[in-house]
Amino acid sequence: MLFQDVVFWVLAIVAIGAALGVVVIRDLFRSALLLALVFIAVAGFFVLMSAEFLAVVQVLIYVGAISILFIFAVMLTSDVRRGNLPNRLQIPAVVLPALLLAAMVVTAVSTDWRLIPDSQQERVGLVQTQSVNVLSDSALEQAGVSSPEEMQEIQQAGIADLLISDFVLPFEVASVLLLAALIGALALARGREGT
Amino acid sequence: MYGLAMAKGLMVTLKNLTKKPTTVQYPEERVKQHPRFRGEEFVWYEERCTGCASCAKYCPLGIIKIVTSPSETAPKQGDKYRLEVFDIEIQRCMFCGLCVEACPYDCLFMGSGFEQGKYSRKDMVLHVEDLRQADKHPSTFFRPQLEASGYDPRGGRPLNWREVGRESWRWHQQEKSGLRLEHSPVDTAGSQQESN
Amino acid sequence: MNCQLAADNILFENALYRVIYDAVGSFLPCWLAYVAAGLAIMLILVNAVLLGAALVTWFERRLLGRFHNRIGPNRWGPFGLLQPIADLAKLMTKEDLIPAGADKITFSLVPLVMMAPLLLMTAVIPFSKNTALANLNVGVLFILAIGSLTTVAIFMAGWSSNNRYALFGAARAVAVLISYEVPVVISLLGVVMVAGSMSLANIVQAQAIPFLLVQPLALLIFLTGMSAELNRTPFDVAEAESEIIAGYHIEYSGIKFALIFAAETGAMLVVAATIATLFLSGWVGPFAEYIGWFWFLLKTLLVLFVFVWIRATYPRLRVDQIMALSWKFLLPLSLINLAATTLEVFFLRDSAGTLATIDLWIMAGINIPLALGCIFLFGNLVPENAKVLSVRPTTVVVPAVATVEVR
Repeated sequence: MLFQDVVFWVLAIVAIGAALGVVVIRDLFRSALLLALVFIAVAGFFVLMSAEFLAVVQVLIYVGAISILFIFAVMLTSDVRRGNLPNRLQIPAVVLPALLLAAMVVTAVSTDWRLIPDSQQERVGLVQTQSVNVLSDSALEQAGVSSPEEMQEIQQAGIADLLISDFVLPFEVASVLLLAALIGALALARGREGT
Repeated sequence: MYGLAMAKGLMVTLKNLTKKPTTVQYPEERVKQHPRFRGEEFVWYEERCTGCASCAKYCPLGIIKIVTSPSETAPKQGDKYRLEVFDIEIQRCMFCGLCVEACPYDCLFMGSGFEQGKYSRKDMVLHVEDLRQADKHPSTFFRPQLEASGYDPRGGRPLNWREVGRESWRWHQQEKSGLRLEHSPVDTAGSQQESN
Repeated sequence: MNCQLAADNILFENALYRVIYDAVGSFLPCWLAYVAAGLAIMLILVNAVLLGAALVTWFERRLLGRFHNRIGPNRWGPFGLLQPIADLAKLMTKEDLIPAGADKITFSLVPLVMMAPLLLMTAVIPFSKNTALANLNVGVLFILAIGSLTTVAIFMAGWSSNNRYALFGAARAVAVLISYEVPVVISLLGVVMVAGSMSLANIVQAQAIPFLLVQPLALLIFLTGMSAELNRTPFDVAEAESEIIAGYHIEYSGIKFALIFAAETGAMLVVAATIATLFLSGWVGPFAEYIGWFWFLLKTLLVLFVFVWIRATYPRLRVDQIMALSWKFLLPLSLINLAATTLEVFFLRDSAGTLATIDLWIMAGINIPLALGCIFLFGNLVPENAKVLSVRPTTVVVPAVATVEVR
């Protein structure tokens, strides 16, 4: 456990330091790079919590795509050499996030976090050790789950299954929203006819 | 089929793997030059030279320097000058061969080598001593008598001053005496002073 | 001895790890033994990749020489084997310049950030049975994600050089990279579906016949896409040695340039290893328990040969042609491959979700004609744009740079 504690503290310091750097540092390009570092540190947290898939997806999407987006945006901004200019909003900018941080910390600490029930722990175990590839009845039977009630509990949903089965309409509507954003961006970037 | 041209290109490159490479490994082997190669190591025959300095006059870069003084050698032929300085600056020579074309006595020939590189600019001048001691394998550039005799500077023997001139060349003799033949004979076994 | 690795620990199956762990665990506390064993294997991997990158440069130069009908470097050492050392010595003795006005910290960090992803990628590749350092069950996704970290490094190099040509080259390189990530990821989805798992060791086990035959389109797309991501000819607009705009590493000299170059060549090596694992069935072969590593190296060498062969044959593409190839040719092909593979896997798999060998042959029989047919169809559908593109200067402040419209 000592090893994991050390890693946690190192990652925490790196993440918070980089996040502070994003908002404090003058040079815009460096703050974009520090944001990428924050994303990598968050991926490290996911690995610590044994959510490897989330960690890898975090790196792929956030660092591999969204950071590039930020960097392109920084590059295409015209006054980028002047960086983050000081202005009169500095006091509110410290006070309001501090209040928000306090509220979030209080909420996180005082909530009663329930771990997932044992049956779903078993599901996680079966999938992570790759004893089953498909959550069908016969595969579960081969993996040693005997009673139908257990099988049903195991097959019942985590977020992925819910997104595809019960919440598929909001899922698709979100992708329509993304499509609208894409069309809007294209329309803005196209320029006038004939130029 | 779309990718067939690309596949053919790949096959061409693959076939090159089976062929022998055409590299000549320089310090161990040298690329063979052709007989008319205008090389760096000028071949000068002192016995034929009269000091007329036509080569210096014709050189477009002015890199030949000739200083002569009167002398009484060969008084019957009309005197030759005594050559005191005969410098050819090969650092700026462009090996055009105009000096060889200019020489009326067939005493200056282009050489057949290319390895006169030196480490300092002062050494890049051929003085008269160097010219005297140079390797006598003249290139056949602008010298039809050498070419007609089939001389190959790459493998042939060194020539002396009696053999390189055009006066013994059969075509030249007939030309001088006004006798014109229909075609110019290429004389490989003609006069007794020819080289092989 | 007194420290036991937990059975569900990801490093449990790695025999070398357990040997070192047990040996060191007798006199060190357990967590330190854990770290020490990990570091020992990481050291082996890092050295292997760096030495491999040096050998790959030798291999590439000799092979390119033979393709060009000449000998490659043969002066240093027997067959020129010490040539990379000569290159390294030359680069180390060069002056280490940081251009004026450049961002010093970012500029100096770029070789590190370029080297790190490819060293991380070697952690999941199985060199033999049970020999991956970390047999992640999201191994394929890990490789894709870490490979996209190179994009940030290239941008850092271009921006921090304080040179508009470096920035221009970096922007081109990043555009090519992100365009080619899409077909590459989608083509690997097909492989994952057939194998039923994202873990590389499982994919090797699932290859009763090599996935070269079962997923030919995926192999073609992955090979092309990775060539583009590695900035290899014919896609190397970012570092074109014969163009004036010399790319994002123009300001680097000395050991920094050596590291960037080693990172590119090492990435080629790691990608070749990945292709050998995913498509050519990795360490499988006769006597694989004893010499599995030999088959793995042989297949990696074969893929490297193909990379160099392509480099020796094809001319460089223009940047708009590269984009057209990705979006108009590779992306539709990858989507067709995904659709076909989904249908085949859905209909052919049995109740436990696995595919038998005969199913793989059936899939091969469907997919190979499909691949040839699609290439023929798409090749004839994408027209060759021979007319001159209009060059229009915009008000974008990448200064003095004209953007070219892609039609």
